[in-house]
Amino acid sequence: MALSIVGKRAIRLEAPEKVTGSAAFVADLKLPGLLVGKVLRSPHPHARILNIDTSRARALAGVKTVVTFTDTPGIKYNAAAHPAPGSVLLRDQYLLADTARYVGDPVAAVAAVDEDTAAEALDLIRVDYQPLPFVLEAEAAMAPGAPLLHDSGRNIVGRVEFTLGDVEDGFREADHIFEHRYRTSKVFPCSVEPPGVTMARADWSGRLTVWSSTQMPHQIRRIVAGALGVPQGKVRVIKPYVGGGFGSRLGAVNEPLCALLAMRTQKPVRLAYSIEETFLGTESRHPIDLTLRTGVKADGTLTARRLDAILNAGAYATHSVSFASPVGNWFRGMYKCPNYRYEGIAVYTNTSPSGAFRGYGNPQVNFAVESQMDEIAEHLGLDPLTLREKNHPCMGDIWERTKWPIESCGLEEALSLGAAEIGWREKRGKSRDGGKGRAGGGSSSGTGDASSTGNAVRGGDAFRHRGVGMAYMLHCSCGRPALHELSTAMVKMNEDGSANLLYAGADSGQGSLTVMAQIVAETVGIPLEQVQIDPVTDTDLTGFEVGSHASRQIYAGGNAVRRAALAARHEIVALAADIVGAAPGDLEIADGVIRSTSDEQKQVTVAEICREALFGSRRRQIIGMVSEEPEGNPPVYAAQFAEVEVDTRTGAVEVLKLVAAHDVGVAINPANVEGQIEGALQQGLGYALTEEVVHQPATGRPGASNLGEYKVLTAKDMPEIKVIIVEAASRTGPYGAKGVGESGLVPTAAAIGNAIYDAVGVHLDSLPFTPSRVLAALKGEAGAKGAVITVKK
Amino acid sequence: MRKIALNVNDEEYSVEAKPHHSLLHVLREQLGLTGAKEGCGEGHCGACTVLLDGRPVNSCLLLAVEAEGARVTTIEGLAEGGRLHPIQEAFINQGAVQCGYCTPGMILSAKALLDEIPDPGEKEIREAISGNLCRCTGYVKIVEAIRAAGKALAATRGA
Ligand code: FES
Ligand code: FES
Repeated sequence: MALSIVGKRAIRLEAPEKVTGSAAFVADLKLPGLLVGKVLRSPHPHARILNIDTSRARALAGVKTVVTFTDTPGIKYNAAAHPAPGSVLLRDQYLLADTARYVGDPVAAVAAVDEDTAAEALDLIRVDYQPLPFVLEAEAAMAPGAPLLHDSGRNIVGRVEFTLGDVEDGFREADHIFEHRYRTSKVFPCSVEPPGVTMARADWSGRLTVWSSTQMPHQIRRIVAGALGVPQGKVRVIKPYVGGGFGSRLGAVNEPLCALLAMRTQKPVRLAYSIEETFLGTESRHPIDLTLRTGVKADGTLTARRLDAILNAGAYATHSVSFASPVGNWFRGMYKCPNYRYEGIAVYTNTSPSGAFRGYGNPQVNFAVESQMDEIAEHLGLDPLTLREKNHPCMGDIWERTKWPIESCGLEEALSLGAAEIGWREKRGKSRDGGKGRAGGGSSSGTGDASSTGNAVRGGDAFRHRGVGMAYMLHCSCGRPALHELSTAMVKMNEDGSANLLYAGADSGQGSLTVMAQIVAETVGIPLEQVQIDPVTDTDLTGFEVGSHASRQIYAGGNAVRRAALAARHEIVALAADIVGAAPGDLEIADGVIRSTSDEQKQVTVAEICREALFGSRRRQIIGMVSEEPEGNPPVYAAQFAEVEVDTRTGAVEVLKLVAAHDVGVAINPANVEGQIEGALQQGLGYALTEEVVHQPATGRPGASNLGEYKVLTAKDMPEIKVIIVEAASRTGPYGAKGVGESGLVPTAAAIGNAIYDAVGVHLDSLPFTPSRVLAALKGEAGAKGAVITVKK
Repeated sequence: MRKIALNVNDEEYSVEAKPHHSLLHVLREQLGLTGAKEGCGEGHCGACTVLLDGRPVNSCLLLAVEAEGARVTTIEGLAEGGRLHPIQEAFINQGAVQCGYCTPGMILSAKALLDEIPDPGEKEIREAISGNLCRCTGYVKIVEAIRAAGKALAATRGA
């Protein structure tokens, strides 16, 4: 039967609540006697805490509790939400620091009757610090004699290696070997509702309820219970509306600490981190140093690939022990090559912990790999599109990330549609070849006036140069096989033929709730309006669900939801078959009506069947329930294209247009899919051009701690955006869907970097492409391009 | 504590507030109007946008006392008689709402614009919402929604 609800631009179920300001986020919730929590943070990047005097704070009227390290349960925990046992969660952190390990490390917390009192109490706490030597850069932290952050005897927190074939043989076979070093920046998810807003209440019957703005309710339950040493069954996590996730809420942010304050006071407590605290002490994308060596034949065939990655983990492990794995997985999964070698090392430094941010290592790897591919194409005289077409793993090939055959591939269509939309054939290479050669460029450095050889583009302005560039990417639909990906869904059929979906989804704005409702409606055969799903997720009322990570929600969660709906449908059909006297295989359901395909007279409504089940002969409710993992993890493909204009006087890069052609499997709700990609592009553009936090060498403080200093792009800063959806249906996803949540920003930085190259002839090796970095590269300044070795045999 | 009189969504309120308390704080914590959100508390994100005599302001930066004598409009004041405002309708229909945290502020900035320029161009729309950060949508569908709302409003005005 043709699909009637899947594939539709269904209006979001919860949008009316949001446009009226009625949707309640954690900070909008109130309980009688609600206290306000606040955290005191270390001003030092590394310091022994000799003494904390809290006596004056405790004496302040209105202060209900003051806690320091000695008041915590003394249990080491890990804030990351990975479902073990697929990954190692090193426990190296206390709820409040025993030793301060980064500027912003929480050392004390208070709960008081109001904001002002809590703030005053923090001022009254005296901490005696003994500053210790500190280290901010990963490479320096690996060196002998570097200050050690933990008592493990070294700063290396994780090391991962992957190999296939023999890279040295592969390099020997190569006609050309390219080696580059790339650096990526520390960037923050910056959801507009800051992460780290929690309310907790310890009630008198011994239960601990935590209202968390999380992406992972069931994981938070586990982490809170573990960190506080309370039985998991005593903890209940409720996720109300959440103001954007993007990874920032993938682990515990301050839930355990808020719960500790609630337990100490036996009163409800709200702990909401400010924007400054977001930059000081919540997780960022890992800055990574990537040394990439690629061997290639003259015809563009890859013979060897090697990546050495050094990851700056920050002060605590959180995700980092195993984070080096996805980094290597993205790398090895991108291109077909018989020989590869990857080594990733995650290193502690005295900076805020790195963690998850949309893409989970792929934006960093993709920037390096795709920037280098552009250079390789240029060097071999190949069209960058051809090089990708030739080397990408395609349907039926083994995807090195999972070692499973690829279910579907829409890349070639994405490449050709994207190229047409940006005007690839007309524009690529014109800025360089159409004029008198490249504008500036490291190779012709030393002129000082990079623009003099350029090709004027706009209105005769000799200093502004246009170019187009592209990059491709592969991403996942969940974390299998490395991670556990269980989802549980229950579809409960009511006597009016409507359905309730009970599923612990963690819609933090992406619209997965609406898509789940579409899946239920389509699968059961009832109108969308007859499916109800509560946007508030409660771990007491729903089965286990991993949560929202790894672009898994629709692929993995949607699979369980579809299968639960199918189970309900089977029961409906079986009963209907009895009642109308037809074979079950003969019945179809659409729009709430069950019809025999062979005899039009035989029909009955879903409502009648549900009523019959409840109150008639059966006396049981029709409920479909499924708890399972999805079968696969199909990769999603995208090709992104950018057109830029570079001003060679200022180094300013203006992105004129972004084209994002994404193979998402089947788009169950195309409007949502576009929304995911459009939103991700804003983040990818920020990663490419403006967003960066650098910890200051002298003080260890982050160089940006508010949205004035950290530039998130506004509506005015955005270029023209064109999203193209390509649908190469997966075999294992619900209705052929694959993941889409993260992929939209993965290749954006490389596409823009490659467009800059097309415009002015320099490749940039560090993010973001600030005017000063662009200028330095145009002037061919040492260090602007890092170590570049191109060995031509 | 000081007594202040506020006119919010055409209702008169008398509240006790500390002189340093922001309008946002008083709206959310004292009047229970939580539609205006706190994103940054520093004037950078616009999640706290309300209208003051029809003009958008960051209510996190405005002292509550400074709003005395002015007409304050919050998102709660937009729907009338159980009917959504056309801008709210357009945000829903164009898929301009994702997490919804920026949405109340965005809609109020859009309202201020459309009250002044009924059928704005894309540039004017982008300018008008440039103080409102959104991290979810890339602004694409928000801009479309505001344009659609402008057209809808123009049609009703013309009728
Ligand atoms: S909360 Fe007022 S501008 Fe951000
Ligand atoms: S919809 Fe989430 S910040 Fe705009």
